[in-house]
Amino acid sequence: MTSRPVDHDALTELFNIGLHRAAAALSELTGQRIVVDLPRLWVCPIQETHLRLRELIEGELATVHQIFMGNIAGDAILVLEYENASRLAALLTHGDVGRDGRLDQSAREVLTEVGNVILSSCLSAFGDMLHVSVTFSVPRIHVESLEGMLRSIKVESNELQYTLLAATRFRLTEGEVGGYLMIAVGIASLELISEALADRDR
Amino acid sequence: MSREEPLLSADHESLTVLHELAQVLELGVLTVDRNLVVTSCNRWLSAALEAGGPELVGRPLLDAFPELRGGPAELALLGALAGSTTVWAHRFHRYFLPLPPRPPAGDGRFERMQQSAHIMPIVRHGEIDGVVVLLQDVTERVAREEQLRDALSRAEVASQAKSDFLASMSHELRTPLSAIIGFMDLLESEMVGPVQPLQKQYFGRVKLAAKHLVHIIEEILTFSRVEAGKEPLQPEMVDGVALTRSVVELFEPQAATKGLLVREGVPDTPVMLFTDPTKLRQILINIVGNAMKFTESGHVDVCVESHAERVTFSVRDTGPGMTDTDLERIFDPFTQLDQSLTRSKGGTGLGLPVSRKLAHLLGGDLIVSSVPGEGTTFTLWLPLVTSIEPALPASTLGLPLIN
Repeated sequence: MTSRPVDHDALTELFNIGLHRAAAALSELTGQRIVVDLPRLWVCPIQETHLRLRELIEGELATVHQIFMGNIAGDAILVLEYENASRLAALLTHGDVGRDGRLDQSAREVLTEVGNVILSSCLSAFGDMLHVSVTFSVPRIHVESLEGMLRSIKVESNELQYTLLAATRFRLTEGEVGGYLMIAVGIASLELISEALADRDR
Repeated sequence: MSREEPLLSADHESLTVLHELAQVLELGVLTVDRNLVVTSCNRWLSAALEAGGPELVGRPLLDAFPELRGGPAELALLGALAGSTTVWAHRFHRYFLPLPPRPPAGDGRFERMQQSAHIMPIVRHGEIDGVVVLLQDVTERVAREEQLRDALSRAEVASQAKSDFLASMSHELRTPLSAIIGFMDLLESEMVGPVQPLQKQYFGRVKLAAKHLVHIIEEILTFSRVEAGKEPLQPEMVDGVALTRSVVELFEPQAATKGLLVREGVPDTPVMLFTDPTKLRQILINIVGNAMKFTESGHVDVCVESHAERVTFSVRDTGPGMTDTDLERIFDPFTQLDQSLTRSKGGTGLGLPVSRKLAHLLGGDLIVSSVPGEGTTFTLWLPLVTSIEPALPASTLGLPLIN
């Protein structure tokens, strides 16, 4: 993989910091207590991500996609199964949107904002650790297949090689919903992250 | 967007293009510098402000709209100056700028224009130079979506009310019918006095009609209970072969009368499955009864097969068969393909929809294939399981199990 193996525990901790920030921001936004757990984390080559995701999720997906740039660059995506996406939108808005299982425009806006909060919280945690600023593109929500999503990452990015894939679970008062957070980076960015994690431990 | 380019370049040309584009798309565009002083405001936004709003360009935004101070809008602006892009969904923040409604809200329910917003940094020569805010008026769309949601919710309530009404009404109808049949039995038995042969014949007809009515009501009752999600399951270990044989025996007299051959294709050994025997019996009676009803000559084959993970029960007849269009409608409630058959063959058109709903309830399915002029095959499959949960779409169960 990289010249230095990625410290899995340290990376998990870093994701937890990001998700904790995201949960705090979402709680404030929605006025209800929200916890975002990280049941599992994988670091794998992008080709394997496809196979792994195929085992984990099925059917149509709702994804929130943000490109990030700076010393580390890549694609950050929140991946939810369609039904889970509408459930999450319904839980976050007390059934205001998404209640009927459909992602109408309002539900999509809600998920875009939520995805934006989660993705930027996690990437900011990376940025803080690396002492660099990370800038983000405008988040885009898509309803697409797994293949469609993976194609969108591969476009014009031959250098993208690894994925940090986190299973996440959003726990709210009225229920919980599972999803995935995917950060696709090139080997150079992964090296930087790996080095920074190792330096942090020293 | 190429990965090396900034989010929004701040050269005069690209901002002008953005303003023009936003005008066409009916978006509001506002730019501020690093001190949050408004540097531009497009025509759309100016027009929205004309109804008594402040003149913006050249003024600090937080002076023009003091209510933004210290709130999430100021945080989003400062965040953009630090490189973050923020999106605002109107469900969480009804508006970014307090603007009058456009067009004026008809029912006066919301006093401001509802907006969704994007707050993004403007980058000039690699440095963040200011912030651009894109605003979209979603007032009308939100109202439309709310109307749709209300209509849907009313329809759901009405559908539930209909199911509840049917369930209770069917019960109310069944009770007096039991009394009618009971008293007919009593009269027929001559316990309360002698009965003439013609009277006896009439009692028989009344009883037959009443029993038929009970059967129809039972079907409606089951259908409405399943639809209302109130049909309870009582699963136990059941021998699929013995149960199938008992159903075939029920129809032997009818087959003999019509001159039909009923053939059993069942294994010699029991096929044990954990299911609700009453429901399974109800489905089999329905599909075997259907085959008997519509087959005038030939045979009806009833087979049971055991596979690794499922048991299939199939009923094949040599009846008139169905076209593809018929097959699409056959499981729709209250549908009988030839309405004249409702009178000649009896039935509510609920038998097959009920059977399929019951099959789903048991975790399986009921499928049909047919060739016009040759016959029809109904196949019921049930899972070989040790416990039963009502079938739920896998996705509603949330995250797949992860160690």
